Amino acid sequence: MPLSKQQISTLISLVVNSTPDSLSCDDCLVNVAEFAETELMGTSLCESMLKVKQHLNNCPCCNDEYQSLLEALRSLNN
Amino acid sequence: MYSTESQSMSSNPYQWVEKLKSESHREEAVGKLRVILMGGLKGAFFRRGQNDAFCEDVCQESLIRVMKNIDSFEGRSKFTTWAISIAIRVGISELRRRHHKDVSLDAITSGNDMKIELAITEDDVSGNAIDQRAILETLSNLIENQLTEKQRTVVRALLGGMPVEEIARRTNSNRNAVYKLFHDAKQRLKSGFENSNFSLSDIESVFA
Repeated sequence: MPLSKQQISTLISLVVNSTPDSLSCDDCLVNVAEFAETELMGTSLCESMLKVKQHLNNCPCCNDEYQSLLEALRSLNN
Repeated sequence: MYSTESQSMSSNPYQWVEKLKSESHREEAVGKLRVILMGGLKGAFFRRGQNDAFCEDVCQESLIRVMKNIDSFEGRSKFTTWAISIAIRVGISELRRRHHKDVSLDAITSGNDMKIELAITEDDVSGNAIDQRAILETLSNLIENQLTEKQRTVVRALLGGMPVEEIARRTNSNRNAVYKLFHDAKQRLKSGFENSNFSLSDIESVFA
């Protein structure tokens, strides 16, 4: 089955915006709590947190989980 | 949502660890952690159409995972944030499993020896017609010549909407390995484009 126009556009966007990523999804999970707190406090990201950010930009699954983590933390803070 | 005592425990994240590992304090600490996890899970999953029962199930499974992995907590965040991050992954993994339980990998990557075909028709090449056709042909060649069969399968499945961990479940692999296949595939395709006659910004603008 050929790719649809939408799938082609998605693939091209993912490819063009892909950046080097040294983390695995499990590495991301180990660090994502610290990353979320850093982001919510608005403080600058250290090198290890920048790697988490790069992974989240590259991995739709981890990014989906991260957005839900932010929702969970915001609901608790409210 | 956070109680005063829980906030106090958050200032020293290892207090949670000590209490959860202490026989005399464990039950009380688990109870407090359960309340916090439920608050976070409801905040995250009610928006996704889930109910109390779903959050209860996820919370129970998450408490087991937290206790099992408690020695891996490094104290770089609040303990509760760390625990909620685990609970969120448990919950979303369950949603993904339910959503895709009746979908086979073959159905998404069906036929044609797992090759990715690009539908290039006259209708698709209006506007920047020549560039678009040339880019699609370049992409098609890169997919065929630069990617392994496993990479093509993963790319096809992800574009079909199947999450990484569900692909891993169906291929007896793991999430890290499937993600790496996908990421390496993207990097190979990007490198191929960079070595072609098109700039990345031109490619993106043609398909925006």
